[in-house]
Amino acid sequence: MNRIAKTAAAALLSVSTLALMPAAPALAETVLRLDEVAVGELDPGKATDYADSILMFNVYDTLVLPAQGAPGLVPHLAESWSADGNSHTFKLRQDVKFQSGNPLTAEDVVFSLDRMQELGLGFSYLFTNVEKAEAVDDHTVTFVLKETYAPFVASMLRLPIVDKKLVMENLGEGDGEMKDWGQAFLSANGAGTGAYKVSSHNPQQETVMAKNADYFLGVPGAAPDTVRLRYGLEPATVRTLISQGEHDISSQWLPPEVLKALAQDGAQLLTESGSGAFYVKMNTTKPPLDDPECRLALAKAFDYAAAIKMIAVTDDVSQGSPATGAIPVGMLGANPPSAELVRDLDAAKQHLNSCRYAPGDQTIEISWIAEVPLEERFALLMQANFAELGVKSEIKKMPWALFAEQVSKAENTPHISQIFNNAVTGDPDTLLYGMYDSKAPGTWQSPEHLKDADVDRLLEEGRVNTDESARAKAYHELNNRLMAIAPTIYGYDRQNVFAASDRVKVPALSDPAKAFGLDGMGFSFRLMEMQDQN
Amino acid sequence: MRRTLSILLSNPLSVIGLILVGTVVFSAVFADLIAPFPSHRGAVVDFTNFNQPPHWPNIFGTDLVGRDVFSRILYAYRISLLLGVVVLAIAVPIGVTVGLAAGYLGGWAEFILMRLTDVFLSIPPLVLAMSVMGVLEPTLTNGMLAVTTMWWPWYARLVYNVTRSEAQEGYVLAAEIIGASRLHIMFREILPNCVPSIVTKMTLDLGFVILIASSLSFLGLGVQAPTPDLGSMVAEGGNYLPDSWWLTVFPSLAILIAVFGFNLLGDALRQVLGSDQ
Repeated sequence: MNRIAKTAAAALLSVSTLALMPAAPALAETVLRLDEVAVGELDPGKATDYADSILMFNVYDTLVLPAQGAPGLVPHLAESWSADGNSHTFKLRQDVKFQSGNPLTAEDVVFSLDRMQELGLGFSYLFTNVEKAEAVDDHTVTFVLKETYAPFVASMLRLPIVDKKLVMENLGEGDGEMKDWGQAFLSANGAGTGAYKVSSHNPQQETVMAKNADYFLGVPGAAPDTVRLRYGLEPATVRTLISQGEHDISSQWLPPEVLKALAQDGAQLLTESGSGAFYVKMNTTKPPLDDPECRLALAKAFDYAAAIKMIAVTDDVSQGSPATGAIPVGMLGANPPSAELVRDLDAAKQHLNSCRYAPGDQTIEISWIAEVPLEERFALLMQANFAELGVKSEIKKMPWALFAEQVSKAENTPHISQIFNNAVTGDPDTLLYGMYDSKAPGTWQSPEHLKDADVDRLLEEGRVNTDESARAKAYHELNNRLMAIAPTIYGYDRQNVFAASDRVKVPALSDPAKAFGLDGMGFSFRLMEMQDQN
Repeated sequence: MRRTLSILLSNPLSVIGLILVGTVVFSAVFADLIAPFPSHRGAVVDFTNFNQPPHWPNIFGTDLVGRDVFSRILYAYRISLLLGVVVLAIAVPIGVTVGLAAGYLGGWAEFILMRLTDVFLSIPPLVLAMSVMGVLEPTLTNGMLAVTTMWWPWYARLVYNVTRSEAQEGYVLAAEIIGASRLHIMFREILPNCVPSIVTKMTLDLGFVILIASSLSFLGLGVQAPTPDLGSMVAEGGNYLPDSWWLTVFPSLAILIAVFGFNLLGDALRQVLGSDQ
């Protein structure tokens, strides 16, 4: 045999070996196990928090996706889009099928928007500005806005497309033509195009999901076959399970000490940053916090450096970086990193002197969310900080469900609430509008119950200006205003840190070039790679 | 009295009980003098020295905001004992009165009072306390109230039984014949004969009240931070097991010592006072 033939034979052999190889790992079913906070809301019309987002991004798809490792948006269910004044037109892909087998059409997009608006829950506040959506043809849909809304296309990241036909076949009890809009069905079943199907769902215990073999983009072989998302595990349980190799990715709510211990045991630390912050929210309707001077006093008395020290995980990884204002560093309108907030007790005392209430008059109620042990420490830190001003306080532990219910009314909202919030579409509008606009209803995002005309005006400017630099200016001004009237103590800019076993690789949460810049999107299971170990 | 004491001291178990109870009471009463960091009972944070394993001068280590665990345990004993004493001080008179009245008066009074007691006894104690705490704000006072609600029926039941048998005794009959009032007979004739049983049960119960109160605060329904409380210390520390073991182990041992001590002592008293029924 001559050399060429030998080489050709060798090449042929290696090709055939390669062709055989992928079959081997596929024999063992891979299971990804992770956990989140107490309740997982499967209905995309009601989803709000991180656990809900993980479900939403895997069971459903959206018209666009955030670009990886860069700002901006890329096509997903939509091939392309264009804007003409206040109407935005999206061309849909023609090869997409729902998990039920029904084809994706423009009608489904219209239905998804109608349902979102009609229920008025979850992320529906992002779409109050949308007058209607119309199906131009089977694969073209136009959204007509009431008025210009600059970050409109980004808000499509939070409009999961629901299978209209399937939902209509499963309407539950209710009045009118649409009955319950399929709420009963969608809170227990998936009706999306997503890469993962819901096998079983118990909102307080566990959601089991399995790969959708017919996913329009295909699901890579390395992605987990089955995903078990458990809810409400104790930190010590997660700590032990990961060490014993029985759990793969922790929630971001583990205390830093536990993350540190896991890292020392060899767990990898996954991170996600850029769109959120830790906010200490003050009820601006309750004395003494209805006086901005009193609020400023507390904001100046807060020990920002101690907070940062508290959340350090290792020398390189921390759950946050110093805050510079209401908007996290890197986002539109944010202050530069050099403008970090520091404690100033003298300034605090001056503000307190200008406050119309004496420090001892009221006892300030500092609440903390029972599911997040770290918040108790912030509560203690604040109590000690405020005591130095002579401000009395008491600490109150509140389960999330109770908190979420109480904040709907200003008089039931505690003086101080602690919240981790993030821009749900990466745009500052989605971070700030829900928290500070006077028209926004009382939700867990807005325990301040703030009513301020300047804040409202600047929020509006940021929404209607399509010019990026004008928007930046508006948000910068808004940032300053929010610093001046201090409805909130801006604790720190948050970085989500997750501990993970070495059984899984998550490029979107470990490689900055693959990061999405949108909280929860990194948990797209189809982009995870299970390591062949078991 | 001297005889009682000498019997107590002759039994090694009761001596251990006495020593444990003595230690707990001593720690609670003199916490201000013994605690190396008395200020750590309140709103203090020290992030230069947080989450440290046992070392000098923090012999039980420091918690997650840098407070001395040993000092906090001493003050937590104070809260626990206070809670135990207050609960029994309210529950015992109520229970005793109900039991005496039902046992001596009989008839409708007995029927109504004892069925009411049965209703309370039929609800699992922790569930009853949790529902009381669920309706009210979780504060120390409400904690005491919740535990009291579930504690008096046991005394009612105990005293009722003793009263029923005592009421048949000749001395009660004699008192009735000379025209003593019912109140006099209940509280001056019968009650003194119930005292040994009550005292024994109270000693045993102190430990259990501490345990129940700790369970409530473990569930987040008890004393609120920063007030030190053994149950909440165990609950919070549990999140950091097994790495920061000192946050859980020492408060748990403290509960063990208190409950064990009161149990041994109660057991010994039962033998000495002959209230073995």
